[in-house]
Amino acid sequence: MINEEKGNSVGSEDIPSTSTGSNLETTQSLAAGSEDTNPTAPVGAETRQGVESVEQPANADGSPSSSVGHALQTDKVASSVTAKQEMEELAKTGPQNANLSASIVIERSEAVETIQQSGDADESPSLSVEPAPRIDEVVPPIAVEPLFVKKQQSFFEEQPLPVIVMAPRVLRYRTRRDVLGFGIGAVAAAAGAEFLLPQNTLSRLGVRRDMSSPRKEWMLNKALRIDDDVAEALYSLNRMVPTYTKSHITPIKNNYNGATPDPGYISGWNLTLEGLDSGLSVCLDIRKLMNRFPMHEQIIRFVCVEGWSAIAWWAGLRFDDLLRAYPPMSQAKWARVESSVNLDNSGNPDPYFVSIDLATARHPQTLLVTHLSGQPLTVEHGAPLRLLVPVKLGLKNVKAITRITYSVKEPRDYWTPYGYSSYDGI
Amino acid sequence: MLVAKRHQLLVRCSHWLNIPLLLGLILSGISIYWSSPVYQHKPDPATGNFDVAADIGIWICAHLPGQHHSASPPDWIYNHMSLGPGMLAPALRIHWLCAYLFMLNGMVYAAGLVMGGGWRSLLPRRTDVVDAFRIFRYYLGVPFAKLAHREWLHPRFNTKYNALQRAAYFSVPVAGFLSIATGWAIHKPMQLHWLAALFGGFDTARVWHFWLMWLFIFFVVPHVILVLADGWDTLRAMIVGWSAKVDRSEVIESDQ
Repeated sequence: MINEEKGNSVGSEDIPSTSTGSNLETTQSLAAGSEDTNPTAPVGAETRQGVESVEQPANADGSPSSSVGHALQTDKVASSVTAKQEMEELAKTGPQNANLSASIVIERSEAVETIQQSGDADESPSLSVEPAPRIDEVVPPIAVEPLFVKKQQSFFEEQPLPVIVMAPRVLRYRTRRDVLGFGIGAVAAAAGAEFLLPQNTLSRLGVRRDMSSPRKEWMLNKALRIDDDVAEALYSLNRMVPTYTKSHITPIKNNYNGATPDPGYISGWNLTLEGLDSGLSVCLDIRKLMNRFPMHEQIIRFVCVEGWSAIAWWAGLRFDDLLRAYPPMSQAKWARVESSVNLDNSGNPDPYFVSIDLATARHPQTLLVTHLSGQPLTVEHGAPLRLLVPVKLGLKNVKAITRITYSVKEPRDYWTPYGYSSYDGI
Repeated sequence: MLVAKRHQLLVRCSHWLNIPLLLGLILSGISIYWSSPVYQHKPDPATGNFDVAADIGIWICAHLPGQHHSASPPDWIYNHMSLGPGMLAPALRIHWLCAYLFMLNGMVYAAGLVMGGGWRSLLPRRTDVVDAFRIFRYYLGVPFAKLAHREWLHPRFNTKYNALQRAAYFSVPVAGFLSIATGWAIHKPMQLHWLAALFGGFDTARVWHFWLMWLFIFFVVPHVILVLADGWDTLRAMIVGWSAKVDRSEVIESDQ
């Protein structure tokens, strides 16, 4: 059998002195490494603990192509051969060692049973073992060889670190290889950071080159898109956001994006619905809306993308009720919610618009709000009608809505060109 | 030559990946914090400032040499520890990207711990309090022993880490887990409101998240100093996986 032959050859290489009839001491000092000053101590360790974390001894028998399982088998045979030879040696040395040799046999067989391949992926046989010439190295040519393994007492108990024998040149080679590998990783990470960081940040760091590129935008938007998909997967029509009592109410600030509009628009205000199933566009005034639909109250938290939040008491009609009364076209998945009265910082008209997926619009806590804290909305908070979507960031909660347009495709969102998410689920 | 296997390959990779990821998370995180600071006070009548971090920046510019000419003292902290001003949207995108990679990295780390069996070395033990005290006393005594030219021996442990190391290396992955949990709590406070409630609500979860960041910073700085002080072998072990420091008594002890 090939295995047996190989095993024999390995065994004879490892313990050449056994066959020539020299004593146990020389055998062990060769196997455990030349630095052992007291060879008798590791003898016990080696014999007892056997062959845990066996490394591929491919080079020893000169066939680096042999498989892992093959190598294991080889070693089993090798160790059993060694054990037999040792037993013979021990038997020769005298009867006082008879007990010892018996115990060695038992423990060795246990150790052979617990053979396992070392789990380190970086120590694959082809890489790990250099064909180290046996002449100039006193240590065995095998790069890694088990020395001992403590039997595990408890599942949670720390095991001693596996000690292995490694030729200094193998040691140097691996250090070089791994330091180089990690160095390349560090350079790649730095390049990745330079690629991904915003241009302003890079110029602050002293990078003069223009690093803005469509690929960078694509990559960052991809990360954002993954996050949006997660948010969409988390959303459930049946999951209600937490509601609070009146004692929890906190002040809510006027966070109009630009200037607060002149309240003059309120008297002539209308809500226009477009993209309806009927194909018509519908105009509704605030009295009609409030009379037609039941009012709902809720005290909920309002969360801004900046990180602040406020608990407020809102009242209004359900977006869902409006959708039922004026159904959107059958394929519609999105609504564009717009306020044409919105102003920019310098007071010029700056229509504000966001996209809302209809699944979110149908959430029972998504309201078209008419009242805050029991009072009709003031101009600061979007009189006479604003959107309240508790499962979205504050920036989706459009104030002073003037138009809702249903569409099949996702409409543009005011904030997307600035690099914000267009889904904004929270 | 005898060497001891110390760190599994996946553990080593995830260890080093934490550097760019935590750097990205902290830089973008402080930019996000900038847009609505957690720690605020009543606006200062003179400057209108309400942000505690801005107060610290003003103090630094007034007292730190070379910082007197800072263009905007209230923004000193943010200008030096974040992506820069007006960066909320890019900061959020980079934060999410790094956060997802950080979570993946945490899984790689956990896989490495399980495959290499290294998790056992991190578990707290009953003897840790006493041992931590011994180690602590050793560190306190080092300068005095040096001054008095007295021998001052490091307490001996036959474990991979001493009690103080173990406390640190156990709590940092826990802190990583908690920062991910608090991150989700403030990222999805409505869908995951139970998670936010676990940390005391949305606003308190932000405070948790903020201080967990400081925990990483407070860990990393002494960690790097101590590793460098301990020598090349310890640093190399995190790159190549093995250490040339083999406890030979351990080899012989296991025989008895």
